[in-house]
Amino acid sequence: MASGCPAAFGDPSEVREGFLCPLCLKDLQAFRQLQAHYEEQHSGEDRDVRAQLRNLVQKAKRAKKKLLKQEDDDRTGSGSQEQYESFSYGGVDPYMWEPQEVGAMRSHLSEFKKHRAARIDHYVVEVNKLIIRLEKLTSFDRANTESAKIRAIEKSVVPWVSDQDVPFCPDCGTKFSIRNRRHHCRLCGSIMCKKCMEFVSLPLASKLTSASKEALGSHTSPNSSPSSVHGSRRGSISSISSVSSVLDEKDDERIRCCQHCKDTLLKREQQIDEKEYTPEIVKLYEKLRLCMDKVDQKAPEYIRMAESLNAGETAYNLDHANDLRVEIQKMYEFIDALSKKILSLGLHEDPQPHPKILQLQRMIRYSATLFVQEKLLGLMSLPTKDQYEELKKKRLHRQVALETQGKQEEKQKEFISISASAVNGDETHIKKGTVRKSEGWLPTSSISRESERADPLLQQIDNITSFIKQAKAANRIDEVHTLQENLMQLQEEYDQQQTLKAIELSKKQAEEEEIQREELQVLREKEWKREHHKFMSQHSRTRSLDFREVKQHLDVTLIREDTRGDTSFETPAVEQLQAKEHMTFTLRPQNAPQCDKDQDQPACLNPFEDEADTPQVEEDPTNPFAKDTSPVVSFSNTAQQSDKKEYNPFESEEEDEQSNGAPGSTSNPFEEDENPFEKPGGSWNSGNPFEEGSSINPFEVEDGSEISGEEAIEEELLLQQIDNIKAYIFDAKHSGRLDEVEVLTENLKELKQTLAKQKEKSNC
Amino acid sequence: MNAVLAVRQYVSKMIEDSGPGMKVLLMDRETTGAVSVVYTQSEILQREVYLFERLDSPNREPMKHLKAICFLRPTKENVELLVQELRRPKYSVYFIYFSNVISKSDVKALAEADEQEVVAEVQEFYGDYIAVNPHVFSLNLLGCCRGRSWDPAQLTRTTQGLTALLLSLKKCPMIRYQLSSEPAKRLAECVKQVITKEYELFDFRRTEVPPLLLILDRSDDAITPLLNQNMYLNFAEIGTNIKNLMEDFQRRKPKEQQKLESIADMKAFVENYPQFKKMSGTVSKHVTVVGELSRLVAERNLLEVSEVEQELACQNDHSSALQSVRRLLQSPRVSELDAARLVMLYALRYERHGSSGLPALLEELRGRGGTDRYRKLVSAVVEYGGKRARGSDLFSPKDAVAITKQFLKGLKGIENVYTQHQPLLQETLDQLIKGKLKDSQYPYLGPNTLRDRPQDIIVFLIGGATYEEALAVFNLNRSNPGVRIVLGGTTIHNTRSFLEEVTAAGFRGRSTDSSQVPPRSSSRR
Repeated sequence: MASGCPAAFGDPSEVREGFLCPLCLKDLQAFRQLQAHYEEQHSGEDRDVRAQLRNLVQKAKRAKKKLLKQEDDDRTGSGSQEQYESFSYGGVDPYMWEPQEVGAMRSHLSEFKKHRAARIDHYVVEVNKLIIRLEKLTSFDRANTESAKIRAIEKSVVPWVSDQDVPFCPDCGTKFSIRNRRHHCRLCGSIMCKKCMEFVSLPLASKLTSASKEALGSHTSPNSSPSSVHGSRRGSISSISSVSSVLDEKDDERIRCCQHCKDTLLKREQQIDEKEYTPEIVKLYEKLRLCMDKVDQKAPEYIRMAESLNAGETAYNLDHANDLRVEIQKMYEFIDALSKKILSLGLHEDPQPHPKILQLQRMIRYSATLFVQEKLLGLMSLPTKDQYEELKKKRLHRQVALETQGKQEEKQKEFISISASAVNGDETHIKKGTVRKSEGWLPTSSISRESERADPLLQQIDNITSFIKQAKAANRIDEVHTLQENLMQLQEEYDQQQTLKAIELSKKQAEEEEIQREELQVLREKEWKREHHKFMSQHSRTRSLDFREVKQHLDVTLIREDTRGDTSFETPAVEQLQAKEHMTFTLRPQNAPQCDKDQDQPACLNPFEDEADTPQVEEDPTNPFAKDTSPVVSFSNTAQQSDKKEYNPFESEEEDEQSNGAPGSTSNPFEEDENPFEKPGGSWNSGNPFEEGSSINPFEVEDGSEISGEEAIEEELLLQQIDNIKAYIFDAKHSGRLDEVEVLTENLKELKQTLAKQKEKSNC
Repeated sequence: MNAVLAVRQYVSKMIEDSGPGMKVLLMDRETTGAVSVVYTQSEILQREVYLFERLDSPNREPMKHLKAICFLRPTKENVELLVQELRRPKYSVYFIYFSNVISKSDVKALAEADEQEVVAEVQEFYGDYIAVNPHVFSLNLLGCCRGRSWDPAQLTRTTQGLTALLLSLKKCPMIRYQLSSEPAKRLAECVKQVITKEYELFDFRRTEVPPLLLILDRSDDAITPLLNQNMYLNFAEIGTNIKNLMEDFQRRKPKEQQKLESIADMKAFVENYPQFKKMSGTVSKHVTVVGELSRLVAERNLLEVSEVEQELACQNDHSSALQSVRRLLQSPRVSELDAARLVMLYALRYERHGSSGLPALLEELRGRGGTDRYRKLVSAVVEYGGKRARGSDLFSPKDAVAITKQFLKGLKGIENVYTQHQPLLQETLDQLIKGKLKDSQYPYLGPNTLRDRPQDIIVFLIGGATYEEALAVFNLNRSNPGVRIVLGGTTIHNTRSFLEEVTAAGFRGRSTDSSQVPPRSSSRR
């Protein structure tokens, strides 16, 4: 009741507070959930950890109580008193009772096994006896042996019950006579009438005997001997069949037996079949779980890294974090694709699978979706290389600032400080002014020159931005104004251009998709046909997802990126290509220039996006890796297409669209993924006048970089928000909350506008 | 002592034991209920349980790639079905858990059916009850008694449920029961019998103060399930919740508009977006519920009805009560059930009053039209929970302290006219906690008695508990340090189901016009 209202609402500024699981650091909103989560996820783990947790739980409980009381106070202040009053009574809310050990339990397994063993022994002996006899009966060439001899052998295998002892058929009760003759079971020797008689065919016999041989592990004569029996038998049929038809009593292709023996053998056969058969769903599911396990393993590691990096610490390597991020992202893609594949299994077979099987597939898909939703949103983004440098510097400066502050105080005590600081201030001021004025406004003086813009408009915007900065620094307010107007116009122009382009692109995209879909349809039909030809194993191999293959592909794309990064001439071209590749339609092109503007870096080609948009890459004739990627693509597309044909409660219509859009939008959180070849830019930065000043005057540096650092972070923050919102959009689309998607998109637009405004402000 | 957690842990353990792989959960009707109240579908999905099947469902498809977790009551039918299942297994492995004690012969029958060796586990996990809340459980049994004695089948089931609860909470209690109730005594004896028989199972770590099981009978307090109080408590709670929610919501709303101005705000917004979304959903849900509630309240004149109910239950002014009831009976807006309820309350309250207006009220009830059923029920309820049946005095205060309390209450005035009534259970438990509950009325089973004040208390109501009592127990838990109380009932009642319970018990009421209950030849003393 009272605990139902989570107190976790408050502070957005807190980093990782709330009810975190001490083992997996999952945030669980409320104490009770944490408790439940723990007892579920970690109850099997170490005792020590448990004890530790219990300790923690106590603390958490105390904290929670305190919190609630505090909230109580708050509420009293705001006028509603009744809410948590009862907490002061001193008893314990049943929802907060101590964790308890698992209730009593009692196992009957040993007794069960004892009874079963007795039974099974009997059963196994029975089956084995039959199979040994069966082997004896089939180990000679029946077709080429005289019937009398066969009978002799048969009688030697199992003693036949004498005719006189059995006046009636034990199964149906009819009296035996000259007409209704007695027949003997060759496996147990019992007697039955003709009607009750069954046969074991030789192929079945060989299947049963060879399987048990394998089970026994006798490698000396595995499949070869029974199959050779086959061969000789087949060869002889034609010559002898005429004779055997005359001699009714002679069975050269089958062995007579009673119903009971046949039943036992058939059961055995079923067991053999099941042992060998692994359904497709199991294979896919195992892969799916593998991916999930990997995510569970890597995600906490990544979060740890990202947190540390975002704080500007140097404990982890940014590149490693990026690699890890891409890897995890990849896993999500696999999970999505695999679960879709599972969902669509068997939907095209003629008798539709049993509804329960379909339900199973839907549930697996649903749980995979839940998994992705839950975990994907928790992945925070990484700073870019530049931002990271900033963060590091900021952190350093904070430390330096603390030190210098201390020093300053000392100095003040020594009565030197006032004059010295005044001189310092003047000096730098003059310096700044003069340097700038003499040089005039250089385009991109403080910005990496590497960021060559594909679009002349963008270039111009960049130039003007840097003019404004310089003008501002030189206190030329009128110039700043005119320049800003200019900039606004340019930006408007550019935005319009981009929107047009985006519309065009999306049209093109739709067309291309249509074509692809048709092609894929044809392909898939072919595949199905093939499947009907029962090339099952081979087929499934081609279709199933091979991780190594994809990983290779990933590596390849990374390498490709490398080469591109080195030759900066190529960058514009690739960028354009990238723009084409984007499937997020209007969202993306709008966003892209802004990212560029703000971050002053070429938007890097995200390897992950590459993968998602492979159809386009495939078309690229220069791409030597098209072959590598195509299996993945066709795979995911078939899955997609089949989605359309079935009713799926978890996915609404736009799920299909989603699967196209999703890779694009999922990739977005990684947009600012850092280009490892920004380093040249970084080193360029070190040449900027701010830095130079820093070596001279420690105080000045602190101010200057502090401001620019803050700005950078705010922008970064905005970008992060944009990414977050995109993730929400993805999530919302996934679960089909259309209205939400709309609202979020609206929000996204607003955010982007703010970003632009922010940019302006920072220029003022 | 957390009932929900106890069942949850059992289910978690089952899933854990079965290892990785796709799983199906095979249950029967009752265990389905027990599992579904402690685990949500999405939670259990995350643990690779993808299908939920009833063992008796005819159209289950063989799926050899699934592991089956069977959670079943150890009934004859279930064992038989399971034997069939094991003869021709539909799944690859079976992990079998019975929710209660299973006989050795049944284990043997199962073992002999398992020729294909598909069974990997056979255990008893005592989740044989519905864990409604951490401190409330139910057995979902309606109509547990015939007249004043147990329906034998229901007695067995109740004993099983209650012992299962004790086992799942690892409590081996001392037992007290309500002397005036034959069923309470029977049940106490049955539970004791099981504890004695399965002494190995009940061999738990001893605590300083042994836990206590108190068995009561619904017929001692037939008033509580007839009151609408519950609804008003909920109503009030929803009201305050909405108020808080709205405050929170409104506090956030302007922020949303501000967000473009400050980036920190924006960040907060985005981070809280899912919560925000959830919150707006919650707000609208609550508003809808309250809207509907208030519509019903207005339509059926419930506020006034409730006020009279409380007056009947808590005050001692016959003439004004009679007048109020009469007035409401004439109102066409008062529903048939509400009208009948008022008459029932009057009948219970002023059962032996000199100038009883009951015949006239019944006449009026008839005049309102409608079915005979409720009218008959009036006398049935009196028969069920009238003075004759009660062991303790429901209405007049028992001792000087209580009299003073009521007197003071009268002086202070009543805070909320709609929630004056306190269930009898509250008083009983209060005395129990203080160690003042009379041994003469609630004797111990067996020679041992508790010296100290009890700490862990399990109280069980034959004939069903109510949510009002659940709330009372909740508040007692919160207000008494060191005391933990779990409330259970054969079911959880509202007025309607309570009336069904009374009907099922066989009290039909012989004559519609007379409040006179014909003397029953029962085993009661």
